[in-house]
Amino acid sequence: MCAALCSPAEREAFKRDEEACMARFALTEDEKNLIRKRDFKGLIEAGMNIYAMLKIGSATGNSLYRMGAQMRGESYEAFLSTRNMKDAV
Amino acid sequence: MPSRIVGGVGLSHVPSVGPAIDRKREQDPAWKPLFDAYVPVREWLRKRKPDVAIVVYNDHVAEFTFDKYPTFALGAAERYAIADEGFGTRPLPAVPGDAEFSIHLCEQLVEAEFDLTVCQEMGVEHGFLVPMNLCFPHHASDWPVKSVPLQVNVVQHPLPTARRCFNLGRALRRAVESYPGDLNVVVLGTGGMSHQLQGKRFGFMNEKFDQWFLDELEKNPEGLASLSHHKIMEEAGAEAVELIMWLTMRGALSPGAKRVHRHYYAPMTTGMGLITFED
Repeated sequence: MCAALCSPAEREAFKRDEEACMARFALTEDEKNLIRKRDFKGLIEAGMNIYAMLKIGSATGNSLYRMGAQMRGESYEAFLSTRNMKDAV
Repeated sequence: MPSRIVGGVGLSHVPSVGPAIDRKREQDPAWKPLFDAYVPVREWLRKRKPDVAIVVYNDHVAEFTFDKYPTFALGAAERYAIADEGFGTRPLPAVPGDAEFSIHLCEQLVEAEFDLTVCQEMGVEHGFLVPMNLCFPHHASDWPVKSVPLQVNVVQHPLPTARRCFNLGRALRRAVESYPGDLNVVVLGTGGMSHQLQGKRFGFMNEKFDQWFLDELEKNPEGLASLSHHKIMEEAGAEAVELIMWLTMRGALSPGAKRVHRHYYAPMTTGMGLITFED
């Protein structure tokens, strides 16, 4: 599914109806729940490859830094405040 | 006339550089230190009069997916399309290749007992494009050099070892030098430097390791070739294992190649390194 999200048409299909998209790619119920909840930390812990996950981030409007903050267990703002150049987004 | 390697560059391929260029943000305060560092590098590259850039890089689950994943893949096409890796296709012209040169490299490397996946069709994404943007900026509809993409698996274990990557570089040098096309060749080793994107250590960087790596790359690349993936990942972050691709570049240069430029900048989530060698 993540590989498919490299196509604009598939990203649109996912945005229109993510349940149908996930069913089409035969995700397990556990996998679907992680995506429904936008649980990026959980997806990584379940073994998803980080670069595959970035495609889901793109299709769901979650930037790398937002997903990263969640994986760190911090708010987006708290994460940015840990950077050497806080405004370089 | 035989061909020759005239220079090598080690550089990060951070994806956000692409949009920064496309949106003309190179002079923004956060970006300026990075882009300024490349001005003398591009001038130096122009003076080397390169015909072809061999770009050692990794795809990020865009062109290659886990149903079938090559350890080493070499492009052997006349042109490489700009791939959509999930964020849209950047407005760049397709990248010209040199299929005859690529095929020569494939033949020599396989004979040298490196097992390559030969790609007669291949799209390229940020791992390849960002270094090209920085070193060989494109014109409206073309690029100033031809390219040979050399893709290395650094994203899904098991990965080739650092030593394997270094030895591939050495074999690459011999393969280039046996090509009778009188080509000036530059090798780019891309990726890194320290960074981690997955899990709790997202955002981890280690400047001390990165500076040490730059020192060793110049003076003791054999030592770096002995590094385990585990050691690199522990010290510099899981995704820093991309640095083994810099060893392919270094292996393709003579041991005494002269280091010319060196720069380091780590504003956000990656230690962005830059090092050049003349040969």
